[in-house]
Amino acid sequence: MNCPKCGAAMNHHAEKPVEPITPDEERRASEGGIVIVEAHRCPRCGVEDARRVTLSYV
Amino acid sequence: MPDDSPLYIPVILGTVRQGRMSERAARAVHRQLARWPNVETELIDIAAMPLRTDGAGQDIKDPAFAAQMTRADGLVIVAPEYNRAAPGLLKHVLDTCLKEYIHKAAGIVGVSAGPWGGTRVIENLLPVLRELGLVCIFWDVNFAQVRRAIDEQTGELTDPRQAERIDKFIAELVWMSRTLRHGREQVALEPRPA
Repeated sequence: MNCPKCGAAMNHHAEKPVEPITPDEERRASEGGIVIVEAHRCPRCGVEDARRVTLSYV
Repeated sequence: MPDDSPLYIPVILGTVRQGRMSERAARAVHRQLARWPNVETELIDIAAMPLRTDGAGQDIKDPAFAAQMTRADGLVIVAPEYNRAAPGLLKHVLDTCLKEYIHKAAGIVGVSAGPWGGTRVIENLLPVLRELGLVCIFWDVNFAQVRRAIDEQTGELTDPRQAERIDKFIAELVWMSRTLRHGREQVALEPRPA
């Protein structure tokens, strides 16, 4: 993930499990997936960002 | 280059009750934290926030509070003990953010009118903060018999040993905040072994 401010590659430091909230997340979770929030911070300018991802283990 | 800019560690005053004694405790801790070098802080009073009740969680996120949590490197949460638990509105506010808290430090200040110093509200909050992605430090601050602990006129602590305990708490919180900032910036998750 690149920094939305300076474009540098961000440091991916966490994957926090969270509850599914969208129908697609709920479907994928019911199939054995796990919903996470990926947390990133820019080592150049300190911007923090995150995105929701569903990991699939099936 | 490591980010050596000042840490931002706000103090959240976690009750909206009229006549709340926790405000004195929050102001005492905030005053002491503001003297700490290389730390910026402010008092966030949940009573001054727009507390929506027409939804819950991140659906009712307050942009100003979310921006403060995004900027924060650590948090001090001042919580009175109401019937052994944290105030419901404090939980309501904390639940409005998630990504903003991840891998950031948190320290809890428990406040009670009785002798236990908010010990039970601290225990009550620990699993909540962990679930939010915060990293709790092992020092707490306990304000037991809060009416006696802080001078009503001056707002000063009546026992100077309490100031020393608060400094210990802040020192640990600053260390954890600095370390976690470095980790967020520089230490990536290890890839899964093949």
